[in-house]
Amino acid sequence: MNSSESELASQLITLLAAGMLVIQLLMVVQRMLLTSIRLFALQSLMLAGIAAIVAFFHNNAIHVYWVAGLTLIGKVFFLPWLLNRLVRRIQIDQEIAPLLNSTASMLLCGGFTLLGYIVARPFTSLERLGNNTLAIAITLLLTGFFLMFNRRKAITQVLALLTVENGVMLAAVALTSYGMPLVVELGIFFDVMVAVMVLGILVYRIRETFSSMDVSKLSQLKG
Amino acid sequence: MMFSVLAIMLQTALLLALAPLISGCIKNWKAKLQNRRGPPVWQPYFDLAKFLRKDMVISEHASWIFRAVPYVLFISTLLAGLMVPMVSVSAPLSLFGGALAFVGLLALGRFFLALGGLDAASAFGGMGSSREMTIAAVTEPALMLAIFTVAIAADKSTNLSQMLIAAQGPTWKLLNPAHVLAFAALFIVLLAETGRIPIDNPATHLELTMIHEAMILEYSGRYLALVEWSASVKQLVLMALLANIFFPIGIATDSSAASLGLSLGWFMAKLLALAGAVVLVETTNAKLRLFRVPDLLSAAFILATLALLSTFLFQ
Amino acid sequence: MMLLIPILLAPAAAGLFCLLARSRPAMGLANMLAFGVTVGLGVMLLRKVIEPPYVVTEFEEFFRADSLSAWMVLLISVVSLGTSLYAGQYFRRDLAAGVVTAGRVKEFFVLTPLFATGMFLVVLANNLGVMWFALEATALSSVLLVALYNRKTSLEAAWKYVMLGSLGLALALFGTVFTYAAAVNKDSAMPSFNWSHLMSVAGQLDPRMIKLAFVFVLVGYGTKAGLAPMHTWLPDAHSEAPSPTSAMLSGVSLKVALYALLRFHILTTACLGSSFSRTMLLVFGLGSMCLAAPFILVQTNLKRLLAYSSLEHVGLICVGIGLNSPVTIFGALLHMGYHALTKPVLFFAAGNIHQSCHTLQMRLIGPGIAKLLPVTAVCMGLAAVAATGLPPFGLFFSEMTVLNGGFAAGHTFVSTVVLAALLAAFCGILYQLTRILLGVPKIVRTKDVAPSAGAPAMGLMLAALLVFSIWLPEPLLQVMKRAAGIIGGK
Repeated sequence: MNSSESELASQLITLLAAGMLVIQLLMVVQRMLLTSIRLFALQSLMLAGIAAIVAFFHNNAIHVYWVAGLTLIGKVFFLPWLLNRLVRRIQIDQEIAPLLNSTASMLLCGGFTLLGYIVARPFTSLERLGNNTLAIAITLLLTGFFLMFNRRKAITQVLALLTVENGVMLAAVALTSYGMPLVVELGIFFDVMVAVMVLGILVYRIRETFSSMDVSKLSQLKG
Repeated sequence: MMFSVLAIMLQTALLLALAPLISGCIKNWKAKLQNRRGPPVWQPYFDLAKFLRKDMVISEHASWIFRAVPYVLFISTLLAGLMVPMVSVSAPLSLFGGALAFVGLLALGRFFLALGGLDAASAFGGMGSSREMTIAAVTEPALMLAIFTVAIAADKSTNLSQMLIAAQGPTWKLLNPAHVLAFAALFIVLLAETGRIPIDNPATHLELTMIHEAMILEYSGRYLALVEWSASVKQLVLMALLANIFFPIGIATDSSAASLGLSLGWFMAKLLALAGAVVLVETTNAKLRLFRVPDLLSAAFILATLALLSTFLFQ
Repeated sequence: MMLLIPILLAPAAAGLFCLLARSRPAMGLANMLAFGVTVGLGVMLLRKVIEPPYVVTEFEEFFRADSLSAWMVLLISVVSLGTSLYAGQYFRRDLAAGVVTAGRVKEFFVLTPLFATGMFLVVLANNLGVMWFALEATALSSVLLVALYNRKTSLEAAWKYVMLGSLGLALALFGTVFTYAAAVNKDSAMPSFNWSHLMSVAGQLDPRMIKLAFVFVLVGYGTKAGLAPMHTWLPDAHSEAPSPTSAMLSGVSLKVALYALLRFHILTTACLGSSFSRTMLLVFGLGSMCLAAPFILVQTNLKRLLAYSSLEHVGLICVGIGLNSPVTIFGALLHMGYHALTKPVLFFAAGNIHQSCHTLQMRLIGPGIAKLLPVTAVCMGLAAVAATGLPPFGLFFSEMTVLNGGFAAGHTFVSTVVLAALLAAFCGILYQLTRILLGVPKIVRTKDVAPSAGAPAMGLMLAALLVFSIWLPEPLLQVMKRAAGIIGGK
C-alpha cells in the first residue's frame, strides 16, 4: 500500500470522523426523537464506512470487514428499527426542553471538542491510519455524556449511550491497525444489542408505570 | 489596489446581468418542484424594467436616508461583488483587508437598508429591521470565521484572490474536514443573508412573517428596482464566493479569452448547481419560528469555529 | 480434568433449565444444585492452584485461573449457594402476599444463574475484552433483577443502575481498547489480548497510553464496583432489588468489578511502577469510606443502610490494596471473603423483616423484632456484630490487619482516616440495628413470616463465617497469600 493511497485513506477516514462529530452536535440540539434515531443510524453508517476503509487499505483484513458488516447490520438497521418500534409503542415523539438551551449546549460541545483534541495531543504521533480520529472519539464520549445528562426523555438517554459506544468503537478502529480480536468485537456487538433490548424493556415498563418517559420524574429515591 | 478599468466594467456587467437570472432560476425551479409551472426564468428582468418605469410614492415622514438607501445599498453590494473572483482568479478590485472589507461592505449595505426600514415610520419596517439585525449579529461572525478557515490555508492572507491562488496549489485537499465544515457553515449563512427558507420566506405576503421584505415595503418605482437588484446581486456574490472558494475548478488563471470563456462556463455550472441546492433546501424545509432562528445560526457559528479549530488540530 | 469450563457451564445449564421448567420447586432445586456443584469445583480449583504451575488454563489460555481467580470463584459460589437456599422460601412468601407474579419469580430463577455465570466468566477469562463482555452481561442480567418488583422506586433504581453502569462500562471499554492499542505494534500481527500475555510484555507497553487507559478503566470499572463518587446508583439498586439479589449484588458483584479493576492495576503497576495506580486506588477507596460514614449515621431505610455499609467495606478493600504492602493486601483479600459471608446474612434478615413489616423504614419497623422473629433477629445481630468489625468475627482481624499494616508502613494520615470512618460506621450500624432489634414491640403485627424463616441460609453462612474467622485451613491461607502476591506484583 503506497503512501498516496494511504494519504487518501487517511483523508477519507478523517472526513467521515468529522461527519460523525457534526452529527453528534446535531443530535445535541435535535428535539424530534425519530430524527435523533435517524441521525444515530447515519453516524453508525459513517463508522461502518471507516471500518470498511481500514479493512480495504490493510490488505483486505477480513475480520475488520466483519466489524464493518456487523456495525452496518446492527447499528444502522437493527437498532434504529428497534428504537423506532419502541417510540411508536410509547407514542411520545418529542423531547421536552433540555436543561441547557441549544446555544449553550452547542458552545459547551465546542468546548468538549477542544478538550478532546488536547487530551489526544500526546498520541497523535502514532503512525496509524487515521490517528487524528482519537480526538473525535474522545469528543464523542464527552458529548455523549453531556447529552445523557442534558436530556430528560429516556429514549434520548439510550441514544446518548449508543453514541458513546460509537465513540469507543471509533477509537478501537482508529487506534489499532487491525481492530481488536474478532471474538472481542463479536462480544461487544452482542452486548450492545442485548443492552438496547434490556433498555427497551425498561423504558416500556417506565412508560407504563409513570405514564411518561420523563426521567426527571424518577427522583423519589434520595439519601 | 490593483484595478483594471476593463476588468471592473466587465465584472460589473456580469454581476448586473447574471443576478436576476439566478433569482429567476431559483423561483422557477422551486415552482416546478411544487408541481406548478412558475414564472419564466427571465421574469425578474421584466420586473426590474417595470419598476424602473413606474412612479414612486414616498411617505411624507421619510427623510434623506430613505432616498439615499437604495443607492448606498446598490453601490456597496457592487463593490463587494467586485472583490470576489468570479471568472478569473484575480478579482478586479482588491481593497485593504480583503475578506474583511468584503464583509464590511455587505454590512454597510445592510445597515442602511435597516435604517431605511425604520425611516418610513411604519411598524412593519421597524420590525423587519430589528429582525434583520438580530440575524446579522450571528451570521457575520460565522461568515468571517468560515472565510478565515480558508484564509489559513492561503498563507494566512485574507485577500480573496490570494485564497483562490493558494487553492490551485498542491496543498489543497478536496476532503479536508475543515473545508467541509466551513462550507456547511457558509451555506447556512447564505440562506440567512439571502432571506431563504428556513430563515425567511421570500415569497410571503404576510407582513408579520417577513424579515427582508418588511424593510422594503415602503419602496416603489426605481428605488424598489435598485433594492431588489441589490438583493439579487448580494445573492449572486455570496454564491460565487461559496462556489469559487470551495470548488475552484476551472477558474481561469490567465486572462486569455479562451480560458475566460471556459471559466465562465464552469462558473455558470457551479452557480446553477448551488442554486439547485438552495431550491432543494427551501422546498424540503419549513420556515423556522423566529425565536428558533438563532439556534440554527449558532449551529452555523459552531460549525465555523470547529472548522477553524480543525485547521490547527487536524494536521 | 476440566475444571474451569464446568464452573461456567453448571449455572448456565441451570438457567436454561429454569427457562424451560414449570414448577417453582424444580427451579429452586436446579439453582441450588448448580451452585453446590460450583462450590465443589471451586474447592477443587483451590487445591490445584496451590501446586505448581500455580495456574490452571483451559482452551488454549482462553480461560485462566490463578490464585486470585480461584479465591473469587469460591466467594461467588458460596454467596450464590446461600442466595439460592434463601430465595425459594422468600419468593413463596412474596407470591402468597401478591407482591410478585409467578412469571417474575421464574425471571428471577433464570436470571440469577446467568448473573452468576457472567461473574464466573469475569474471573476466569484471560482475554481482557471477554472480561469486559462478561461484566456487561452481569450488569444486564442484574438490571432486570433489580426491576423485578416493577414498583416506581424499583424502576427508578434500575434505570439509574443501568444508565450509570453502562456509562461506566463504556468508559472501561475505552480504557480496554487503549490498553490493547498500547500493545499493538505497527509491524506485528495482532497481539494476543490475554492478560497473561500483556503481563509478560508489560515493560514494552507505551506508558502514556497505559496511564490514560488506567484512568478510564478506574472510573469505568470503579462505577460498577461502587467507588465514590460514581456510587450514586448503589444505595438505590441494592435497596430496591429483592433481598436475595441484594445479597448477591452487595456480596460479590461489587468485588467482581473490583477484580476486573485489579487486573488492570496489576498490569499498570507492572508497566509504570507502583505509585500511580495504587495512589488512585487509595484516593478513591478513602473517598468511598468517608462518603459512606455520614450516610450510615443518618439513614432511615434499612436496606440502604446495608448498601452504604457495603460501600464502606469496598472502600476499605481498595485502601488495603492501595497501601500496597503485603500485609495490607492480604488483609484486603481476607476482608473480601469475610464481607462476602456477612453481608448476605444481613440482607436475608432484612428481607424477612421487610416481608413481615411491609416497610423498610426503620422508624416504622419499630423496636422489638427480636420478639417477632427470634431467629432472624439473632442472625442479624450476629451479622451486625461481624459487619461492624467486632471480634471474634473475621472482619475484626482483616480490618486490624489493614490498619496495622498502614500504621506500620508510616501511612499515618490514611490509617487515621480509615479508623475514623470505621468507627463512624460501627456506631451508625449498631445504633440503628439495636434500635429495631431490641426492646418491646410497639406495633402489633400478624405472623406473616415464620419465626425460623431463612434459617438454613443464614445459619450456614454465619457458621462458615465463624468457623473461618477462627480457623483458616492451610490451602486457603496459601491461596490468599499467592493472590496477595499477584496483586502486589511479585
